[in-house]
Amino acid sequence: MPDEELTTPTSDAEHRRIGVYICHCGGNISDFVDVAAVRDAVATDPNVVHAETTLFACSDATQHDMVERIQRDGLDGLVVASCSPKLHVPTFRAVSRRAGLNQFQYTQVNIREQCSWVHSDDRPGATAKAAGLVRAGIGHASLSVPLEPVTVDTVPSALVVGGGVAGLRAAVGLADLGLGVTLIERTDHLGGAVGGLGAMFPSNQSGRELIAQLVAEVADRPSIRVLLETELVAKSGSFGNYEVRLEGPPGTEPVTATVGVLVIATGFASYEPALGEFGYGIEGVVTLPEFTAMVDASPGPLQYRGRPVGSIAYVYCVGSRQPGGNEYCSKYCCTATAHVAVQVAARDDRVTQYHLYRDVRTYGVYELLYEEARKRGSVYLKYADDAPPDVARRGDQLVVTARDTLTGPDELEIPVDLVVLVTGMVAAPNHDLTSLLKLPLGSDGFYNEIHPKLRPVETVVDGVLIAGASQGPKTVSESVASALAAVAQSGAMLLKGQAELNPLVAVVGTSCAWCGECASVCPYDAISRVEVDGVAVAHIDPSACKGCGGCAPYCPNEAIDLLGVTTAQVELMIEGMVAPVHEEVLVS
Amino acid sequence: MSVDVDTRPATAVPVRLQPGLAADLRAFGARDFAACFSCGTCTATCPLVDDDATFPRRLLRYGLLGLREDLLGSKELWTCYHCGLCTESCPQGADPAGFMAAARRYAIAGYDVTGLAGALYRRPRRAIALAVLVALVLGGAMLGVARTAPSRQVALFRFVPESTVHWTGVAAMVLVAAVMVVGVVSMVRGLARREGVTWKTLTAAPGRALAWSAAWSAVVSESLAFRRYRDDCAEEESARAPWWRRRWLVHGLTMWGFTGLLVATMADYGLSLVGLRATGTPEPVWYPVRLLGTLAGLAFLYGVSVLALNRLRRVERSVKTSEVADWLFLAVLWLVGLTGLVTELSLYVPGGATFGYGVFIAHVALALDLLVLLPFGKFAHVVYRPVALFFHALARARSVSGERTYD
Repeated sequence: MPDEELTTPTSDAEHRRIGVYICHCGGNISDFVDVAAVRDAVATDPNVVHAETTLFACSDATQHDMVERIQRDGLDGLVVASCSPKLHVPTFRAVSRRAGLNQFQYTQVNIREQCSWVHSDDRPGATAKAAGLVRAGIGHASLSVPLEPVTVDTVPSALVVGGGVAGLRAAVGLADLGLGVTLIERTDHLGGAVGGLGAMFPSNQSGRELIAQLVAEVADRPSIRVLLETELVAKSGSFGNYEVRLEGPPGTEPVTATVGVLVIATGFASYEPALGEFGYGIEGVVTLPEFTAMVDASPGPLQYRGRPVGSIAYVYCVGSRQPGGNEYCSKYCCTATAHVAVQVAARDDRVTQYHLYRDVRTYGVYELLYEEARKRGSVYLKYADDAPPDVARRGDQLVVTARDTLTGPDELEIPVDLVVLVTGMVAAPNHDLTSLLKLPLGSDGFYNEIHPKLRPVETVVDGVLIAGASQGPKTVSESVASALAAVAQSGAMLLKGQAELNPLVAVVGTSCAWCGECASVCPYDAISRVEVDGVAVAHIDPSACKGCGGCAPYCPNEAIDLLGVTTAQVELMIEGMVAPVHEEVLVS
Repeated sequence: MSVDVDTRPATAVPVRLQPGLAADLRAFGARDFAACFSCGTCTATCPLVDDDATFPRRLLRYGLLGLREDLLGSKELWTCYHCGLCTESCPQGADPAGFMAAARRYAIAGYDVTGLAGALYRRPRRAIALAVLVALVLGGAMLGVARTAPSRQVALFRFVPESTVHWTGVAAMVLVAAVMVVGVVSMVRGLARREGVTWKTLTAAPGRALAWSAAWSAVVSESLAFRRYRDDCAEEESARAPWWRRRWLVHGLTMWGFTGLLVATMADYGLSLVGLRATGTPEPVWYPVRLLGTLAGLAFLYGVSVLALNRLRRVERSVKTSEVADWLFLAVLWLVGLTGLVTELSLYVPGGATFGYGVFIAHVALALDLLVLLPFGKFAHVVYRPVALFFHALARARSVSGERTYD
């Protein structure tokens, strides 16, 4: 809802025709920033032909007005001063496109988070700052040029790294989309962690069967090439056209392949307790993977080293949720333990099973398994975070000592035949692959996605997707779901045959005299040396460049500019920000 | 607002869990308590919970973990009047009320040094067989010493010598008292240890007054007058039964009736001892002792009958499930009451002699049966509950007066 519009219908040829919208954001901005004063302060700029305040810039009505204004007044630049660019850049880029204005000639100015919210105690100060920021935005827009997305052709094939359940399922999915698949596996067999498992929750289907089924499906698809004992050793090229070098077992020739995307499904490793950690190393103390293997190996009543097992204590969160250690929860182990406890009880319901836990996280449908474990006699004792159980052998007897916070103040002594340390998942040791692909790791050591909700399988490296437990602890169903998400995302990237990339990249000007500084700092290997008319200069591959701007300040000749944020634009923005604001504007 | 936290100081040495306890409790009728995930809804909804007694959640923990001494030493076990609200509100179907009842059975067996209670609870058919056998043996013995009695007018003690009945009764009482004393000592030891109560704290100056008030509360306010049974354990307005079927009243009539009968029997015997009146002879119904006995008997029979009917028809959440032990106790009580009333009737109706003597023998045998088996079944609560209530009242009194050494 415009209060008052200031339009200069004519302007001379050497000036731009910019429209400025200053948003009240209801009262979010206008309660603390005098938006009319800001409008008055910038309306006289020779590049501005229209300036107005509006109650909500993002409202349908205002968007409609903007389109009309751009078309009627022939605007060649748009500045919206409202909230964070994280919120509405897509909105106003779309407005520009609808009006026929190049979307990169629109500039967003944040006067809510950066003015009204942080300076709510200083209205004149917030107003002056807002005026400076809007002038900077006008300066930015006045030097904007139309930019078009970089289009690259893509190769319809994918490299899947890792032959576990996620990698296998991804390979099948990719092949079914019509993409060529190369699946590499470091070991000499497919299956990963799941391939070594017997009965799994929740349906009791064995991991071996599950993998055998997937391997058969892989074998059924001629478009999948499986390379065992093979590792990725080099990657070059850019998104949509990666050249990868794959090294097989000694004595075999390395293979190269051109792929559009890489799906990384390298799985996890099980946490290995240190000697003495919760009694690890004492006879009768085993980890959860060791125990499930034990249960899986012998179908009859449970035995440990030839002796029947009549009582078991499970100690939870070993190596998980430890301050200073692995601080995260592996979230599968509670359920896996409940599941194995149910199996043990089903074989012999006289086996006493004590579960010493911190919190039970058998989420979703697995809650039923927790219930079944309890109903079959599993007893759950909750130990305090700062009072972990003690595991010791006294003579012939294993004894766990703990306090149950649900029961009483007494220290409890639990004599058992076997102690199972419930260990979680840790990141698989993949240092070479990680540094080769420049994949970012989270604080937990697992691979990081761009956005946990909206871009859950993409990484900051274009065309490199992550799947399964390489990203963090996952159940089999979660691993497969993420593998299929990576398949879908691969399809979205490759099936069109070409991809559009952000045009906000670095470009090299004529003053370059190739010194190599820029190439040495580029984290994406986008810069190379080329000869133009016999002169060595830097070349920046627009499909590899991420527009980070890291190279620009290193250039001694100031030959590198970043499209969308050129040096000239930045200088003009600074000028706009430091220009004094007239007193009469502020008191008006 | 009470907090479900055990405020006792920790024991000096770790307590070793007894893995078989949960299975044992199952044999005593606690079938679903393993489903408990310790949410505490039961404790939160229980109308009897206060700062000095939080249950039943924690007691289920004792059972699950194998903390036998904690379970047997819990006054809370006997604080409960089994209204069934906890079972109704349990989100896991763990039947906390059923657990409490089973744990009380387990405790009766646990306090009993002879081991008989445990054997009978574990194998309910044995309990029935034993009750029948004891009744038959006693009845047979009475018949064995019976003489020809007048057939025109019933004269019970010319049929069976009064001294036989008297001395058999005395012998049974001595026997039962001996077993119960041992049981109570065993129980009190556990409770006193858990509650931090010693002989000194009870008898020294400030503790003595508290102990007297606790004893009054336990015996008079609670055991005889059912104060909390009445006030706190009442069903909510909408689900409340008509007054003549209220749980506390029906239980009260049963207990007061039983007590009245006991007093009447004692008084009758006492009067004959001092030569005022011969027992077992027809007297006018208005005669005070006879009147007391008659009214008490009617109240008793009414109470037991309603208890049995409620249990049969499962009218309340408190009687949704029943064990053999519940029925056995009710059956013996009801038969004792019925045979007693019919015996009295035979004194007044023409031709009473045709059935009076036989029913009398049955009555004596059943009453002795009830007495002899008291320590080994549900009837034992008549002794154990007041003891536990004493400790509960003491804990409350001590915490009110700031006397408790811990907290």
